[in-house]
Amino acid sequence: MNPRLIAAILLGKLIISLSRFFKVGGGSAAPGLYALKIYPQLVSDLASKIPHSIVITGTNGKTTTARMLAHFAQNSGLKVLRNATGSNLERGIASALIQHSSFHLGGGGTKYDLAIWELDEAAFNQVVLRLKPQQVVILNVFRDQLDRYGEVDSVLKNWHTTLRQLSPETTLLLNGDDQNLLSLISSFPGKALTFGVENYKIRGEKSFKRVGKEILNLEAKNLNLLGFEGVRFELEEGDGRWFFSLPLPGIYHIYDFLAAYITATRLGIERQSMIGAMQSFSPAFGRTEKITLPGEKTAFIQLIKNPTGASQVLEVLSGELREDDKLLLALNDNLADGTDVSWIWDVDFELLQNPSRAKRGDLKTEIASGPMAHRNDIIVSGSRAEDLALRLKYAGISPQDIEVENNLKKALKQATDGLKGRLFILPTYTALLKLQAILAEAGIKEHYWKHE
Amino acid sequence: MNKFKITIGYLYGECMNIYGDTGNIIALQKRAAWRGIKVTIQNITLNDKLEPGKVDLFFFGGGQDQAQNLVAQDLKSTGKGKVIKKEIERGVPLLSICGGYQLLGEYYQPHEGPKLPGVGLFPVYTVAGDKRMIGNIVVRLSALSCPDKIGTADDFIVGFENHSGKTYLKEGAKPLGKVIKGFGNNGEDKTEGCIYKNAVGCYIHGSLLPKNPQLADWLLEKALEVKYGETVNLKPLDDTLELLAHQAAMDKFS
Repeated sequence: MNPRLIAAILLGKLIISLSRFFKVGGGSAAPGLYALKIYPQLVSDLASKIPHSIVITGTNGKTTTARMLAHFAQNSGLKVLRNATGSNLERGIASALIQHSSFHLGGGGTKYDLAIWELDEAAFNQVVLRLKPQQVVILNVFRDQLDRYGEVDSVLKNWHTTLRQLSPETTLLLNGDDQNLLSLISSFPGKALTFGVENYKIRGEKSFKRVGKEILNLEAKNLNLLGFEGVRFELEEGDGRWFFSLPLPGIYHIYDFLAAYITATRLGIERQSMIGAMQSFSPAFGRTEKITLPGEKTAFIQLIKNPTGASQVLEVLSGELREDDKLLLALNDNLADGTDVSWIWDVDFELLQNPSRAKRGDLKTEIASGPMAHRNDIIVSGSRAEDLALRLKYAGISPQDIEVENNLKKALKQATDGLKGRLFILPTYTALLKLQAILAEAGIKEHYWKHE
Repeated sequence: MNKFKITIGYLYGECMNIYGDTGNIIALQKRAAWRGIKVTIQNITLNDKLEPGKVDLFFFGGGQDQAQNLVAQDLKSTGKGKVIKKEIERGVPLLSICGGYQLLGEYYQPHEGPKLPGVGLFPVYTVAGDKRMIGNIVVRLSALSCPDKIGTADDFIVGFENHSGKTYLKEGAKPLGKVIKGFGNNGEDKTEGCIYKNAVGCYIHGSLLPKNPQLADWLLEKALEVKYGETVNLKPLDDTLELLAHQAAMDKFS
């Protein structure tokens, strides 16, 4: 083993121990960051020791897909390595590899059968070739943090370039309901398979409308949406029609499932074992996560980070909100959230003004009228709480029903004090991290790194 | 004000609607509706014809490179560019942001290839830059460039810019304001945007109008004045939340 690699791993492991000891975080980025400085080839060297690897990218759904796939794999006895939630840059991959590498198994050996890597839209181009994956999953491409990733056109352009360099041995799995993604097939030298949902287009992005009938290799049919409880659907396969019940809400989660399912099937995991495993699947950190607050009150936490994802969440939420429920929205503008808060103006917050209007097409171009069907107290928080409050006002929500409290801890207290129904918390990424810390401090929830 | 109604022409909304552009339409629509002014949004897109006198206020947002090329051609081939220019000459207000602003200038010079001709409404030109100018921005609306309706020289507008094109004002062109924080037109001369008659071009997203309601109201007033030929003073609104968001953006720099 290369002495620089050994030094890099040791340094990384030391940082992991120190950061845990001093409780400064889960150590999901810093160890990799410094280890890569010592040994830049660390990722390809260590990753090549794991027999199978799968890379997942796209704007929305990476974490849920990775978690579901890991759940299926573990359930059928495979040992799985993943990068920690949200740490999807190269340093996050390196950190995971360092943390789980052991010297005694023939030098940097591994005890894993499968690695599942989630990479964000930009990190994908930097890291995927080093990981030499057997399967690459691309879930979707939406506008997300234009200040960081650039426009959709340039994300796609970079993906085309990267896919051209991938081995033809790799299989590419694409969301076939996404016109932009279908164009990637032409740049990829290997086999490509598509998955999708019958007669569905994704809201919010006009270019995503299904044009004509594409042939999908795997298609979810006969959907039955059950609000926050989840969704039921069928898959028609060579050996018959199969029924599935997904404990996650909204059509958008079906895509995550289909990606996990098709990938797992190609790994040799049995369908029956996946159907069973779905019953015990619990959502990832802040992804429709359900927690119990003191006084047996229920709170749902759902990350929001871009217009399409947030609108999809609101769509489910609007049909779900009851009189006594409260909402806590938290908008930060740190680097990991996107420093430009303009995106909230592309989110259909209009859906909150009157749930019965939810199914009426694009509300943004309509003038809202009439009183709210449900009066929900909405607390807005985070470093740009004021922007969010303003967005809600222009979405037709009465300013009297909006409370502004920048401090998330105080906002959470305000939201839970005297809460009769349920609390729905929608934070952006760094607000979610903060929220987890607040909940941990209050003894409501453990720190996220203990879960992964 | 119930006698008033206006038509907002949303130029190329389908392909030119970068982050938050819709917020500007929402702001105009709501601020008019709250005063009993009826608003119609007319989408004007590729291949459409534009007739003079049909639109009382134009909005033109930003787009991705590909879309911008198509739109540049379309402005010319359908004659819409010329109509817009004529309408602006007679005082019809317009707000253009980022890509829309660039296309209404004299030309855009890409890194490679020939100049992309613009509509020539604003006496400005844009050159492709190497560095992206990204971040929060604060601009002081200089009294010189803005009619007194907007407010005093102390008026600030706030938002977020994200562009690599560098726009330069030609001689005689009036900037919208002076950059206090951020890059502005080109990151060099401290100017931001351009104003010609009642047409405004700038680089400010955020969205711009909800957080800067004085600008939204100025556009609405101009639209009504030109349409009805009388001086209009819009009824003041309770702008507590607007000013709170404006202040929060200002505080980012304090």
